[in-house]
Amino acid sequence: MIAVTGLGTVSASGAGRAALLADLMRGTPRLTEIPAAEGWRPEGGARRAGLVDPAVVAEALRGRDTRRMSPPSRFAIAAAGQALAEAGLLRGETIDPETAVVAASVFGPASFTTRLFDQILDEGPAAASPMLFSECVANAAVAQVNVAAGAGGPSFALAQGEAGPLRAVARGASEIEAGRARRAIAGAVEELPPVVHAFLDRLGALARPPRNEAAGERGRPFDRRRDGYHAAEGATFLVLENEDEAVRRGAAIRARVLGGFSAFDATAPAGGWGRGAAPLARALGRGLERLGLAPERIDLIVSGASGSRHGDRLEAQVLRAAWGARPLPPIVTPKAVTGEYGGAFLAAAILAVEERGAWDASWYAESDEACGLAPHQGPIPGDARTMLVTSLAAGGSASWLVLERP
Amino acid sequence: MSSGTLADLKRPRVAVTGLGAVTGFGWGMAALEAGLASGRTAIAPLTRFDATAYPTRIAAEAPAAPAAVRRVTGWGAMSLADRYAVAAAREAAAASGLPFDASTGEGAGVFFGGSTGGLYECERVYESHRRGRLARAPRGPIRRHLVQRPAEAVARLLGADGPVETVCSACASGTLAIGAAIDALRRGEVKVAFAGGADSLARVTYGGFNSLRAVDASPCRPFRADRAGMSLGEGAGVLVLERLDDARRRGAAILAECAGAGASADAHHMTAPRPDGEGAARAITRALDEAGRPPSEVALINTHGTGTPLNDRAEFAALRRALGAVASDVPLAVTKGSVGHVLGGAGAVEAVATVLAIARQRLQPAPGGGAIDPETPVRLAQEARAEKVGAALSINLGFGGVNAALCVAHPGETA
Repeated sequence: MIAVTGLGTVSASGAGRAALLADLMRGTPRLTEIPAAEGWRPEGGARRAGLVDPAVVAEALRGRDTRRMSPPSRFAIAAAGQALAEAGLLRGETIDPETAVVAASVFGPASFTTRLFDQILDEGPAAASPMLFSECVANAAVAQVNVAAGAGGPSFALAQGEAGPLRAVARGASEIEAGRARRAIAGAVEELPPVVHAFLDRLGALARPPRNEAAGERGRPFDRRRDGYHAAEGATFLVLENEDEAVRRGAAIRARVLGGFSAFDATAPAGGWGRGAAPLARALGRGLERLGLAPERIDLIVSGASGSRHGDRLEAQVLRAAWGARPLPPIVTPKAVTGEYGGAFLAAAILAVEERGAWDASWYAESDEACGLAPHQGPIPGDARTMLVTSLAAGGSASWLVLERP
Repeated sequence: MSSGTLADLKRPRVAVTGLGAVTGFGWGMAALEAGLASGRTAIAPLTRFDATAYPTRIAAEAPAAPAAVRRVTGWGAMSLADRYAVAAAREAAAASGLPFDASTGEGAGVFFGGSTGGLYECERVYESHRRGRLARAPRGPIRRHLVQRPAEAVARLLGADGPVETVCSACASGTLAIGAAIDALRRGEVKVAFAGGADSLARVTYGGFNSLRAVDASPCRPFRADRAGMSLGEGAGVLVLERLDDARRRGAAILAECAGAGASADAHHMTAPRPDGEGAARAITRALDEAGRPPSEVALINTHGTGTPLNDRAEFAALRRALGAVASDVPLAVTKGSVGHVLGGAGAVEAVATVLAIARQRLQPAPGGGAIDPETPVRLAQEARAEKVGAALSINLGFGGVNAALCVAHPGETA
C-alpha cells in the first residue's frame, strides 16, 4: 500500500497546511490585484488572482541561494522542503538514488519564457540570457527539486492540464510499486504571471468583475451564477512511500493512495470541454472496479469543479452518471477557495482525509439544474474514510485518485 | 494500488508493431529510413524564421507536408507539432494494421514527450499582440500552445479513451513517455499505446540554446574530436505498442520488443551533466536489469550524442560505467547527426531509429567524418551494413540531469 507521509504546500493562503486549511474553513479565497503596470490586463477583464506572497516564499527558502531560479522553481523547492520535513526525511550528504520526483504543471515557467522572448524581440537573439533559458525548460522546477532534495530516482515533469496533479501522484505511486523508487516526491507547481492571466481571460475562462460583481470575482463551483474560475499559483508536494517501510521508520501515515487512473474525452476540442460524460463515467466506474470499489464505498468526493461553466457541468454529469440511481456522497469543492491551480486542490484533498473540519460553502447560493448537485455544507463527515478525488481538464483529459484515511 | 514488483512488471512483454515519423528528411518512415541509410544529414540552412541575427543559422527542418498527409480533420488549425504528431501516429497505426479510429481508440492510451507544443505559433501571436493588444489576439494559437496538445490531437483523432500523458522532462521526454506506455500496458491500463513525442522549431528554443553557446554553426558531429555543439531539429516519432501476446493473436508483424526502461536523475546541476556519468549509468543499468540482459548482449547503442563537448564526454563516462568495455566495442548510432536534436521528441525519433535497426538488422551510419575524440573512444557506425542486432539501447539525457534509457530487443532474440 502506498502511503502519504508528508505534505508541503505554498499557495495564496501562505506556506503550509495550516494556512490553507484556515482559508478552506473560512470559505473565502485570498485574491490579489494583477499588476496593471505591465500592460497585460485588458479593460473589463478579470482583475484578480490567487497569487503567492513572495515574502512567504523567501521566508520558506531562507538560507538557500535561489536568486537565479524562476518562480515555479522557488515555489517547488519551498513546498518539497516542507513535505520532506513533515515526513521526517531531510537531505543527507549523498544522493538518494531511490527517490523519484514527479510534478505536473499546466503553463510551466511562463514568466522566464516570456522574458527571454522579449529579449529576443526587443534586443535581438544575441541578448538572450542563458540564465533565463536554463529556467525556461518545462522540467526546471522538477530538476531543482531533484538537486535540492538530492533525489536521484526517476524524474518526471508531466502536463495533463487540470488533471495533471492527480496523474503525477499516480505516476509517483507507480514508480514505487514497480520497484523503480522507494519514495516519491509528487505534486504540482504553477506560476501565474500577468501574461498567463491575460491568456486565460482572452479564452473566457476567468470569473470577471462586470458580470460577477456580487460574487466578488471568484470561482463558484456548481452555482448557477458561476462565470469562470479565479486562477491561482503555488506548489504542492506529497511524500509517497510504501506503508510498511514508512511504519518501520516511525513515520506518521497521513493518507493511503488506493489507486489512480485516467481517461480521455475525445469529443473535447483543443483547450475546450467535450460532451463525453457517459464514456468518462464508464472510465471512472472501471477504475473503481479495478480497485475493488463500488461507488457506494466512496464516502466523500473532492471535486475539481472550479466555477467553469462547461467544466463544472461535465464534472457533475460524469459523477451523476457514474453513481446512477445511487445517492452521491457529500461533495466538497476546494477550488472555490484555492482557485484553479491543481497543487492547492491536491493539498486540500489530503487535508480532507487528514484534518477534516467544516469547509465553509456559504458562497454557494443558486442551484444549477444542468449540474444537479451542490457542494456539501457543514463539517466533513467524521466517518468518511474512502475519498474520490476527481479532476477533469479542458482539452479532454481526466484523472481520478482514491485516497483512504488510515 | 495494484501490487507489483519490478519482476512482476517484466511480464507481460511489450511489442512494437508500428512506426511513424516526421523528420528533417521528410514526412514518413520511408524518408527517414532512406536518409539514415544514406549517411547524409538533414541539417541545412534554417528557413522557418529569419535567423540572420542568431549566432547560428542551421537546423533539421521538416519540409512542407505533402497533400496526402494534410487530409486530416482540423489540419488547418493545428500547430506544427500537432501535425507532426498526428501524421506520425497515423502512419504508425497503418503500419501496425490498426485502423486510426475509435475501434482502435477504445482502450488505447497516448504517451508523448514534448517541450514546445504550439510554442512557434504562439510566439507569433505574442509578438503581434503583446501587452495591451492581447484582447484582439486570435484564440486558436493560445489554446493550442500548451505542451500536451500534440498528444491530445492524436488522442482526439484516434478516439482514444485511455490516459493521455505528456512528459515534458526536456530531452529525455520521449524515452520517459515510452517507458510510461510500457508500464501502462504491463499494468493492463491500456490495450494499445501510441508512444512517442513531437516538437517544432521555435525562436525561444533556438535563441535559448544559442544563448548557452551549445549550438554548432555546422551540422553536429557527436563524438568527433572537432565537435562544437548540437544542431536543432524538429518532427515526431511514434511507436504503436501492444502486449506481445495480443499482437501475436491478431497476427501483427512484431518489429521489436520493448524489453526494459530505466530512468534516473543526476541531482547535480541544471545544465551540466554529472561528469562521472553516475546518474545516467543508473538509468542504463535499470533498463538492462528490467530487460534481463547483461551488457554483453547489447549489440547497438543509440546514444543521446548531442555533439557538445561536455555532454558526449559525460555520456561516454556513463556508458563505460554501466557497460564496461562494451561501450567502446559495439557500434554507436548518433541519430542527432542526421535529423538534429528534436528536443522533447528526440527520444521518440531515436527509439524509432533503433527499432528500425533491429527490424532491418542493419546499422545506420553516422553522417560526416573526422577523427573520434580520444577522450571518448567509441565505435561509430560507419556504413549502412547488415549487422546482427539482438538487443539495443536508446539513451536520452536531458536538462536538469534527467536520464532515460530503453532496451529494445529483436523479437526472435527474446525468451
